[in-house]
Amino acid sequence: MTSDRRVPRAARRAVPPGLLATPALAWLALFFVAPVGLVFWYSLGRKPGLYQTHANDVLTLDRYREALGDTFLTSFSGTLRIGVTGTALCLAIGLPFAYWLAVKVRPHRRFVVLALVLVPFWTNFLIRTIGWQVVLSPEGFASRAMQSLGLIDAPFSMLFTRGAVLLGVVYNYLPMMILPLYVALDRIDGSLREASNDLGANRWRTALQVTLPLARPGIAAGLLLVFIPLMGDYVTAAVLGGARGNMVGQLVASQFQQAQNWALGSAMAVVLIVVIALTILATAAAGAVCTWLLTHRRRRELAGIAEGSAA
Amino acid sequence: MSSSPTRNAVASGRRADAGDGKGSVELRSVSKSFGGVTVVKDLDLSVNPGEFLSLLGPSGCGKTTTLRMLAGFEQPDSGEVLISGAAVQHLPPHKRDVNTVFQSYALFPHMTVAANIAYGLRQRRGIDRAEIRSRVAEALDMVQMTRFADRKPNRLSGGQQQRVALARALVNRPGVLLLDEPLAALDRKLREDMQVELKLLQSRLGTTFVFVTHDQEEALSMSDRVAVMLDGRIEQIADPYTVYERPATAFVAGFIGQQNFFDGTVADAGRAIEIDGGTVLPAEPVTIHGSGAAAVRVAVRPEAVTVAEAAPAGPDGSANALPGAVAAVSLLGDVLQYVVHADAGHELLARVPRRQAGRLAEGARVWCSWAPSDVHVFPAEVTPRAPIGSAK
Ligand SMILES: Nc1ncnc2c1ncn2[C@@H]1O[C@H](COP(=O)(O)OP(=O)(O)O)[C@@H](O)[C@H]1O
Ligand SMILES: [Mg+2]
Repeated sequence: MTSDRRVPRAARRAVPPGLLATPALAWLALFFVAPVGLVFWYSLGRKPGLYQTHANDVLTLDRYREALGDTFLTSFSGTLRIGVTGTALCLAIGLPFAYWLAVKVRPHRRFVVLALVLVPFWTNFLIRTIGWQVVLSPEGFASRAMQSLGLIDAPFSMLFTRGAVLLGVVYNYLPMMILPLYVALDRIDGSLREASNDLGANRWRTALQVTLPLARPGIAAGLLLVFIPLMGDYVTAAVLGGARGNMVGQLVASQFQQAQNWALGSAMAVVLIVVIALTILATAAAGAVCTWLLTHRRRRELAGIAEGSAA
Repeated sequence: MSSSPTRNAVASGRRADAGDGKGSVELRSVSKSFGGVTVVKDLDLSVNPGEFLSLLGPSGCGKTTTLRMLAGFEQPDSGEVLISGAAVQHLPPHKRDVNTVFQSYALFPHMTVAANIAYGLRQRRGIDRAEIRSRVAEALDMVQMTRFADRKPNRLSGGQQQRVALARALVNRPGVLLLDEPLAALDRKLREDMQVELKLLQSRLGTTFVFVTHDQEEALSMSDRVAVMLDGRIEQIADPYTVYERPATAFVAGFIGQQNFFDGTVADAGRAIEIDGGTVLPAEPVTIHGSGAAAVRVAVRPEAVTVAEAAPAGPDGSANALPGAVAAVSLLGDVLQYVVHADAGHELLARVPRRQAGRLAEGARVWCSWAPSDVHVFPAEVTPRAPIGSAK
């Protein structure tokens, strides 16, 4: 009897700690590794006939050659430009805003401001983007307001310009930037800013030397949360940019939906994934190099003080 | 580790020269309120160069607010703040000749210990790299943290972080160092060691220290002068000995050390005070302005109370004496502490050196008595009585 009871206890102790991560790993495998693997597998195949979407009877890299054609590359560079510019704009607007919210706004009002930031999310993504179409059209509010202010004489359309696309991008993605930045900035103990100020640094130097370095995780999270979905988004660009807003996501979707060529669509998707990953890596590397260069001289200046004491 | 100058420090004569005013602090009728609640009321305070001054008071009495007005984190609603002789109430913190040691230490978590200490020097113009390096090394040595120069603060103990915070402030050689309960987070043993070290450091450097604490023992043991605060005002400012022996108000008497309080009325033209069940004779006649039998509060320190089985035989008979029964006896190191229930209802605390008297048993009938010179008389104010033991 006693030994019976002892066995499961010993077995429990023998459970490797990694086992507890199984559900998470299974989730990751099922919803991330498997679909991406499948897409990669399809990208190595071909479209065998008019009524079939894909076949892997011969493995070939031809779909990639096909995918990297002129249309795709043009559209791709446009997408990358909008992705990078849009993300940078979101950071440029979101960072001061999040700082203001986390530092200057009184705690009991922050909730209200945060709620206002999130209000657009209460409406459907497509509907609120189309709403901008109404505002930006030649008969729309923006044009009429500028006319009544005397800024322009004739009806003017901002619609279907790159500016309109960026406006929509910032509008749709800014909250995804503000939230992680706010969380990161809010976590920084206010006494650290006071200490910096007390030690002779003014507001700007404090922001550069204390607040920003400590907010780095939030900045990274915000950049990822905006850049990745933005690279795949084609609705915003199509609705507000018209023909100019031809994003690579649209090409991928049309291969799957209209052309029914899953092999080519998959190859384009893989290229997209790889480029996104490379962009992220390049940004991270650039960030690390900049930080190292900025602090290198100062580190060297203080290096070896501890060793001196050992003597 | 090399022998530390801190340990060997002697109070040398390197105090800041009082003449040039560097290191002096002055508050002139400073007031501050938050949302309609006045936290600091018309406060006057003057600290001499090189002085170690403590702001002592219960939690919420406005000590931190006062300190933050000196540092520049809060602006007074009215009044003047002078540091090293110059009016600074409109200057931001980074332009004041003060540095602060924060209660939470507020070390920069993304910088090493050495970089934390170098931070203040790097904000200034005209300090070259070699000087930064040598001053950082010197400051690290001063707090015996040289070995930890390359560590990040989160890998230091509380006491070590405390030292780094101190070095980070002192490396800038401010005229005045502000410390907000810097030892509160340390455990008892470490706190007592740090009290000694801080005091030695202060007398060696000659920097003015304004030290906030709610711990009366800490304030008494370290300070040149103690300012006892209550409700945004200074109740008394004096050297520790005076504050302890001649408290200016009943609040100070109760907050510093422990007291036996009796409420009574003045009789016999001030030469006697009638309390429940007895008479208290003060050393000098009480002069309380007002008519009739003025209400007063009498304070007698526990160590001034004698406990004996026999009734005191003196010229005054039963004055300054109360009969009662021993309710509890406890040994506090070298001292025996009695709690005596007086027959008139008072609860008296008495402390007697252990060797001086035989130990009385619980329940024994005793007389508690004291000398007129140990009697302190205060006007019976609305000040709430500090409960026994409240002053930690
Ligand atoms: N920024 C602030 N806003 C509102 N009330 C404050 C602020 N700072 C301090 N107080 C209030 O002022 C009073 C005194 O606070 P403080 O100076 O921190 O006291 P102490 O340091 O003596 O404990 C407290 O009641 C506190 O709640
Ligand atoms: Mg405080």
